[in-house]
Amino acid sequence: MKVRRRFLAAVLVTALILTAALTACDDGSNSNSKSTSSNTDNKSDSSSSNDANTAKNDANEPAKSGNANDGAASAADGQIGEFHQSAALDGKNLPDVKDRLPADYKITNEMDENQLKYEIGSYGGTLRTVTSVANWDADVFVMDNEPLLNTPSILGEKITGNVLKDYLLSDDQMSISFQMRKGLKWSDGEPVTTEDIRFTVEDVLMNPELTPIFPLYLRSGGVAEGAPMKLEVLDDYNFKLTFDRPYGGLLIRLAIQGWRGYTELLKPAHYLKQFHTKYTPLATIEPAIKEAGFKPGEWVNLFNFKDITNWKLNHSEAVGFPVLYPWVITKATQSMTTYERNPYYFKVDTAGNQLPYIDKIESTLVNDIEMVSLKTIAGEVDFSRESAALVKMPLYKENEKNGYKAVLNNMHVTPTDIFLNLTYDNPTWQKVVQDVRFRKALNMAIDRQELIDTIYYGFAQPGSIEDPTFDLDQANQLLDDMGMKKNADGKRLGPDGKVFTIPFEVGAQAPDIVPYTQLISEMWRALGLNVTMKTIDQTLWGQRQTANDLQATVIWTHTPLWYMGDWGQGQWAPVWDQWHSSSGKNGKEPPEDVKKLYAKIDEAMASKPDDAKRLIEEVKQMMKDNVYYMIPLSEVKQPLIVNDKLGNIPTDSSFAIGTDFSGEQFFFKK
Amino acid sequence: MLNYISYRLLQLIPLLVAISIIVFVIIQLPPGDFLTNYIQQLKLSGNDVSESAILNLKQEYGLDKSMIVQYVYWIKDMVLHGNMGRSFQFNMPVADVIWPRLGLTVAISLISLVFVWLVAIPIGIYSATHQYSILDYVFTFIGFIGVAVPGFLIALVLVYFIFIETGVSITGLFSPEYVDAPWTLAKVLDMLPRMILPVIVIGMASAASLIRITRGMLLDELSKQYVITARAKGVSEGRLLFKYPVRMAINPLISTIGWTLPALISGEVIVSIVLNLQTTGPMLLKALMTQDMYLCGSFILVTSVITVLGTLLSDILLAAIDPRIRFGGVGE
Repeated sequence: MKVRRRFLAAVLVTALILTAALTACDDGSNSNSKSTSSNTDNKSDSSSSNDANTAKNDANEPAKSGNANDGAASAADGQIGEFHQSAALDGKNLPDVKDRLPADYKITNEMDENQLKYEIGSYGGTLRTVTSVANWDADVFVMDNEPLLNTPSILGEKITGNVLKDYLLSDDQMSISFQMRKGLKWSDGEPVTTEDIRFTVEDVLMNPELTPIFPLYLRSGGVAEGAPMKLEVLDDYNFKLTFDRPYGGLLIRLAIQGWRGYTELLKPAHYLKQFHTKYTPLATIEPAIKEAGFKPGEWVNLFNFKDITNWKLNHSEAVGFPVLYPWVITKATQSMTTYERNPYYFKVDTAGNQLPYIDKIESTLVNDIEMVSLKTIAGEVDFSRESAALVKMPLYKENEKNGYKAVLNNMHVTPTDIFLNLTYDNPTWQKVVQDVRFRKALNMAIDRQELIDTIYYGFAQPGSIEDPTFDLDQANQLLDDMGMKKNADGKRLGPDGKVFTIPFEVGAQAPDIVPYTQLISEMWRALGLNVTMKTIDQTLWGQRQTANDLQATVIWTHTPLWYMGDWGQGQWAPVWDQWHSSSGKNGKEPPEDVKKLYAKIDEAMASKPDDAKRLIEEVKQMMKDNVYYMIPLSEVKQPLIVNDKLGNIPTDSSFAIGTDFSGEQFFFKK
Repeated sequence: MLNYISYRLLQLIPLLVAISIIVFVIIQLPPGDFLTNYIQQLKLSGNDVSESAILNLKQEYGLDKSMIVQYVYWIKDMVLHGNMGRSFQFNMPVADVIWPRLGLTVAISLISLVFVWLVAIPIGIYSATHQYSILDYVFTFIGFIGVAVPGFLIALVLVYFIFIETGVSITGLFSPEYVDAPWTLAKVLDMLPRMILPVIVIGMASAASLIRITRGMLLDELSKQYVITARAKGVSEGRLLFKYPVRMAINPLISTIGWTLPALISGEVIVSIVLNLQTTGPMLLKALMTQDMYLCGSFILVTSVITVLGTLLSDILLAAIDPRIRFGGVGE
């Protein structure tokens, strides 16, 4: 009895606390929502004044003419007399295919003859892919993604139109005029015009609630000091971006860097306006906010939820969002995501067939990445890149009789690079690793051939950016010169007189990272260095990396694609990199040579492609002289699993991810 | 009895409050949150994720608020609206993620439970009554293997041999054409043969241990005085066996219902991963690994409720079946 009474009291107290907490919380959310809505009013005021500005700009004369771009691959446009559509679209009550295509349609395939002998395909079929991550299928993402501009075979050599028809860079690189495709339509049939561009730039990018931090790459020159780009809408199909400093580099950034899609500058205004308080009163949006599970007044969250940026194209909530992709997501369950052809897609082949050839993509979600391999070797997968690993090549080859081909294409990232954190917070460590002799010695102690043979089965090359010589004597000599003496156990000592240790901390982001680090550790121990290694959880790795807690690690970079601008800056000197990306507000000031490197990379990324590639060569030279991080290998091969009936698969000399990117050209041979 | 049950039910409330707090805190203990994971995944695939997008996502997922506020919102929505929050990974309500998997999980677990009982109890009884016979040794041998070898290993080996021998890859419970189809007779018929492997693999270990338990318990009982007395009085062997000793021997079945129930809905994690079953086990593991906190929080909470209820149920059943417990003084 006594127990029960005590217990009842406990229940009462709990109930009281809960009620109190709930009420407090209710109050909080109410006051929050009030403040947000008052903010919104302010915002819409300011953006309407923006409107006035634009109107004034509109009256200005169009920009002076600049140099015409040489990538006018769309020369053949407008010469096709008759168009064809997939049988899957027959009887669906759609307008005629000619009316669905833009007047300025794009002729597909800009790859070289030696990369792809294009065949006119035939319609039909379902492409099966597999992923082990919910709401994300990298293979489909790359295949479906459409950038504003294109760089054929993702090489970054020339830039052609894609979603946008063409561009014109002014001579001083201070402005770029863009031409859109007349008659281009969203997947729901609505026209794509400069109103969509204006909405995206003015109402989304320039709205501090929706975009709290203006994207760095859209600032002039792509640097923090640059002013945000300015948009001038010329007419329904022409617009112009202007900058306060030369920024021809924006072209390549829009084309490929960071897999940016058209959604960066082009969102379906007709659809998104219903969730934007500038166009729809908050009260009207409120039911949708509630339905999506957000708190009252959180229209910003609802807008961001409804606005499907390109990296959300695999998400279940993307169903129903108007897009320009070859395939539109139509159904997403927990086990499978289905994409169906976009009847308004803007590319055709030379015979007038509207692309894509394949009607449907089915992406299966499995529990584990090993299950991807099992499905692959059982022939249940038609295309697989991201999950295919070089170590499994023998397994793939052995089971090719099940109806697929395992081919080896080029990899778009380095196999794996080695980073010593030059800014790790320890004076002794800094003194040693900031000495270029130390880095050169370690670089010289790497036996590249052994790495290639043991880990990559010979399918890689010694890297050419840095000196690939393997010379232990010279490496030892360099360390001796630095004064790193050996103790009685043969271990080298640091300047503080203690054994100098290189503690590797790696995450298993790819199957080769752990064995690779083990081998490197062995090679460096031969120099008398104390090298330790620890495998840590990937999330922890990411955290420690951001917090500047990693001393030495191993991860890949996008170095083979010059336009990515990825020289591992965030890995070998996080603190300096912070200084640079915040234009001196955070982090610490790097030494002169590093500043020069940063400046050179920035310059390259702000220049038009021809200049940029020359500048990148200079970056490479600086990398060679200073070995900021080690890039021992290059040109590793990446397996690609394709159904052996698939046509228009580029040759082995192309990037695997570039093949993936050209997916709308694939077709099933009869 | 009614008093006892309502008392036990009331006891649930503070227990659940405590569990929910612990669950919520533990999930957030590992470094980072769902977003750190998600953004790193995007970045490693070369995607450019702007600072702005990260801030927006934080706000959208409510991760910009303090842990206490997040907890209160979560509980409030659950209590007031029956809404368990949103799964970050799937971007849909938690209930929509859990429900479709739950049916399949319960089906597999129930079938394997029945399989275990049907196989283990008769074998256990046979082994006990024919102690040290050849068959007893055979069953003991198999039983030890079943206990010692983990289920996932058996699953791996079976999957491998089936693939090598027949070319069929066991990748889930349905043929591809039925995966997303609505439930029909055809779908059930498609599923049943594919169900055999998981049922055997999942049932193997518990069947083996249940054989050992039944055998041991029964051997204990058979040597007791009342059995000898009954036999001396001429009770037939069959009646003698099933009237009391067997009832005693299956007591553990009932007292473990408390654990069996949550096991029914949580599914075998590793076996399900190996066999690619769309059950709740792998879902929970993924949710924990990616820190999809509302999904794992809600699921663990539901599991705990069922565990507590299961324990209650087994106490009541034990009291009903075993007079010694019934008269053992529940009232105090």
